[in-house]
Amino acid sequence: MNIPNSSTAPTAGEYAGDEVSAIVLDPGYSTTRAGFAGEDVPKSVCPSFYGQSDSDSYLFGENAIHSPVGNLNTKNYWGSDGIVEDWDAATKLWEYSITSRLTGARAGDPAKNGLNDDPRANGESMDVEMEGVENNEKPMEDSPLLVTEPGWNSAKAREKYIEIAMEDWGVPAFFLQKTGVLAAFASGKASGIIIDVGASHTSVTPVLDGMVLRKGVQKSPLAGNFVSQQIRQTFKTASPEIPLTPHYLVKSKTQVDAGAPANATYKTFPVAPSASFRLNEEERVLTEFKESVVEVWPGPGRFTNGTNEEIAKSAPGRPFEMPDGWNNIFGSERFRVAEGLFDASAALTSEANPRPKDEWTIPRLVQAAVQHVDADQRPLLLANIVVTGGSTLLHKFNDRLNFEINAIYPSTRNKLIAPGSVVERKYAAWIGGSILASLGSFHQLWISRKEYEEHGASIVEKRCR
Amino acid sequence: MASNRDVRDMLGLPVGEVAPPTANKKSKKGGGTKRIQGVAREVAALYGERPPPVAVYEEKKTYRAKRQSTGPAKKWIQQPFTNPARPDGLVLKHWRRKPTTAPPVQEGEDAAMQDSEPTDYLESCADYVKYNITVDMPDFTDEEYDAHLRNNDWSREETVYLFGIVKDYSYRWAVIWDRYEWQALKRRERALAEAAQQGNGDTDSNALAALPFATPRDKERSLEEMKARFYDISAKLMKLRIPEVQMDADQYSLYETLSKFDPVMERNRKMLATALMNRNMDEVKEEEFLLTELQRINMAAVRLDAEREELRSRLDAPQANTSTAAGLQSFTSSTALQALFQQLFQQDRSKKRSSGGSNAPGRLSLSANDMINTPSNSTSANRRTSMALPPSAPSQTPVKTLSPHQEHRFAVSTHDRLTSGITFGSDKLLKMRQAKSNVQTQKIASALQELGVPEIIPIPTSKVADVFEQLVAKVGRLLDVRKVKEKEMGECRVLSRMKAARDGTAGVKQEGDASGENNGKKQGEGQDTPMGDSNEDGAGEDDDAEGEDDTGAQNTPANADRDDAEADGGDEDRAESRPQDVDADADADADDVDAEGEDESAAQTSRATSQGAGHKRSASELSDGSQPSEKRARK
Repeated sequence: MNIPNSSTAPTAGEYAGDEVSAIVLDPGYSTTRAGFAGEDVPKSVCPSFYGQSDSDSYLFGENAIHSPVGNLNTKNYWGSDGIVEDWDAATKLWEYSITSRLTGARAGDPAKNGLNDDPRANGESMDVEMEGVENNEKPMEDSPLLVTEPGWNSAKAREKYIEIAMEDWGVPAFFLQKTGVLAAFASGKASGIIIDVGASHTSVTPVLDGMVLRKGVQKSPLAGNFVSQQIRQTFKTASPEIPLTPHYLVKSKTQVDAGAPANATYKTFPVAPSASFRLNEEERVLTEFKESVVEVWPGPGRFTNGTNEEIAKSAPGRPFEMPDGWNNIFGSERFRVAEGLFDASAALTSEANPRPKDEWTIPRLVQAAVQHVDADQRPLLLANIVVTGGSTLLHKFNDRLNFEINAIYPSTRNKLIAPGSVVERKYAAWIGGSILASLGSFHQLWISRKEYEEHGASIVEKRCR
Repeated sequence: MASNRDVRDMLGLPVGEVAPPTANKKSKKGGGTKRIQGVAREVAALYGERPPPVAVYEEKKTYRAKRQSTGPAKKWIQQPFTNPARPDGLVLKHWRRKPTTAPPVQEGEDAAMQDSEPTDYLESCADYVKYNITVDMPDFTDEEYDAHLRNNDWSREETVYLFGIVKDYSYRWAVIWDRYEWQALKRRERALAEAAQQGNGDTDSNALAALPFATPRDKERSLEEMKARFYDISAKLMKLRIPEVQMDADQYSLYETLSKFDPVMERNRKMLATALMNRNMDEVKEEEFLLTELQRINMAAVRLDAEREELRSRLDAPQANTSTAAGLQSFTSSTALQALFQQLFQQDRSKKRSSGGSNAPGRLSLSANDMINTPSNSTSANRRTSMALPPSAPSQTPVKTLSPHQEHRFAVSTHDRLTSGITFGSDKLLKMRQAKSNVQTQKIASALQELGVPEIIPIPTSKVADVFEQLVAKVGRLLDVRKVKEKEMGECRVLSRMKAARDGTAGVKQEGDASGENNGKKQGEGQDTPMGDSNEDGAGEDDDAEGEDDTGAQNTPANADRDDAEADGGDEDRAESRPQDVDADADADADDVDAEGEDESAAQTSRATSQGAGHKRSASELSDGSQPSEKRARK
């Protein structure tokens, strides 16, 4: 007899799993994640930035958007309010992220796919046939689709999601779920407060029994991009100014001393890439900087309090080398750039970037979210604080968050749940979606094509709540 | 098998095709002996023709099942299925083993299914239908609403909306409160209506006033309001359906809970809960501190209670029997008492050993609390001794340590040796009054009477007995000293008389004078020295001695004509007697000091260890009254 151990697969029915090869799509500001439900990591992770050289042609994927081609504008389909703005681009990018790695482009009937058509045929019959071609080429007719949405998504945007899925992609079934709920599921929790610090937005979502408490959903623009902007400002205000040269500009570099100007040869382009392209490439360098240098002041107290700054100065610095060979050791400024997430008064400001509001800081967001929840549920939620999002991977982020929350709520048992592995932290919402969509009990929740045709797009409001 | 064939028969499938192979398989399995492989086969060959005397089993590893080859790889297909819980018949696909035989199909559909592939079979997967549950909701009719459920604060529409949302969110009140959007909904409707009116023109602007929600509330409903409304309706409906008298216990308790909901109290409770959560750090720390303190105190109290209880149960008097003999028997054979004695005795010894003799002050400082907090010391010592002396330390009961205070309180005393049988405490007192001779006994009695000690001492506790014993010893010494004194006085008298007679005849005055004075002084001193050192007991005697001295001094001039030789002899006599005196006094002194020291220690520890009293444990009571009586006895 086989004795089950950690490596044996659970028997069917033990975990209520019944996979229907559903696809889970988790679009974010920085990356768009897609994969089959039931897997533990998204198979397809592609940047949410896309290239557009002229009005029509889009370029998607890592390879396309990072190659320095002239006239290539790098854009993002997300609006500044955290809701999809450019629906055309979003649809195409999502489709790319799914078809490029997961389903593949569907091979149409050779008789009808247009390739074997007689070019001399008249235009009218051609049009008719193209209709048929389009119907055949809907990419996801086999797989139900689960899409994630931010907690503050508007009703209109939600209807747009299901329209895209049903009309453009022809999915047999669809469901929309909020990222907060899914991140909680990924940690095995049905209730909790989800702190999601992403690229463009930080959100705090109270979730009770798998349902978002809408009044408590908080968001703020103080997230990964804000930290990048702080780093840029640090570089700009440093004396001498720290040059930020992205990789694509450097042809070769030679080693220089710390703080000395770079000694490198640069590439020249017949048509210089656009400013937006350079901005995006610079962002990659800053991401590296965030990963290797930036540290959150772990507490106790704020970074600007008392002698904390002195202590930080005396701590050993961290070296960083730019793509062009410039390098230096960063001391207390590496704490300063992330401090704005927790303490608005410590943020670096300029004319272009005014002082962020106090309500935007993470402790205040948590406080506001808890305030909008029924008093009886507050301790329960505070005992399950799920931390997710790529920006929470900043060094010592959780220490500080823990300190701040305990300072606000000293009398409750506050517990942070932050998955240790990078993948789980970054893709928590996708993983939660993967779990949810692979459950046998989830079969009855899908919005089927039939239902969509009966009730229209408004069914999403009724069913996905 | 037969049923299988029947099924095939019914379905009109060829019968003979599948059945023969299974039969073949069966015969193969049954007929052919299993061939043993490897070394085992060679071992088996050694047995020869005969079967082995013991059945030999191949040892199988239980933790890893052997991969069974069950033929070629099974095929899997994406099986379409429907979920009965879905009303729309959505067809999804999941991976399933490809069925080896065609699934059973209905007769009617047989023809239709004949030409299609088996994959077209649509499974109905009901595994997860059990998760499709809805909550029970009370419902009401229009008449019921009009008759019983009207409320000025709630419109019919809003009530219906509330019931809908409660059903949607399955009584999750926090979510219901979060999603309750009646006001927003009404506002939106109103805005729409207004927009429509704008479109229609101003002709029917009065229609707005005629709308059912003429007095719109902009105030958000609180959770308590919603709960109150819902519970109120539920209770009323419940009462309508089942009259109160017919409700069973569960129903009635539910009804009571529903009808007793108090929104105001609930709101206050929530405010308090919020306040509790929003305390600052100092308050929380203080509370924490107090709680730990309380816990500590409670634990100590519980432990103390438990210990007391244990001691009480252990010291429980043996059950009184009808006949005294039987009662005594049970008393002596009480295993619990014996065990307790053994243990206490052991412990006492170990204590003595560990603290090295001078333990009186140390033991005094030990309090009950100390014992509780630091029990490890004494218990470890106990364990050591008990291991060293296994026969004398039976470990029937756990070793129990008692502080001196507790020992005193429970009147537990230890003895080196106990005489068999029982004695009364008063016997001891009586015995002490009696001396060897009758005269002596009378003398002692008179001396005690003089001191005011009664014939029968009211509470003859062991302590009182001890003190009385000392007193009697002192009385004995006093009598001895008196005897000596009388003898000396008699001699003195004789000598002085002789001297007076000699003074009359010879004229050697000076020597006699000097010697007489000397004698007198010496005698006085001899009497004085010990008496001054001894305690008040000898005061009366001291007086006597002085008086005698005085008389001696008065006598001296009169006896000045004593003989030299006689004086010498007297001197010698005295010199002979004095060492005895001094010895006796010194002894008495030493005894006194001893007695006092013991007195103290006895008073403190209530243990009678020194006087060689019997090897006995007396569990008698020591009332407070014993203290004054003891003092009196001393006086």
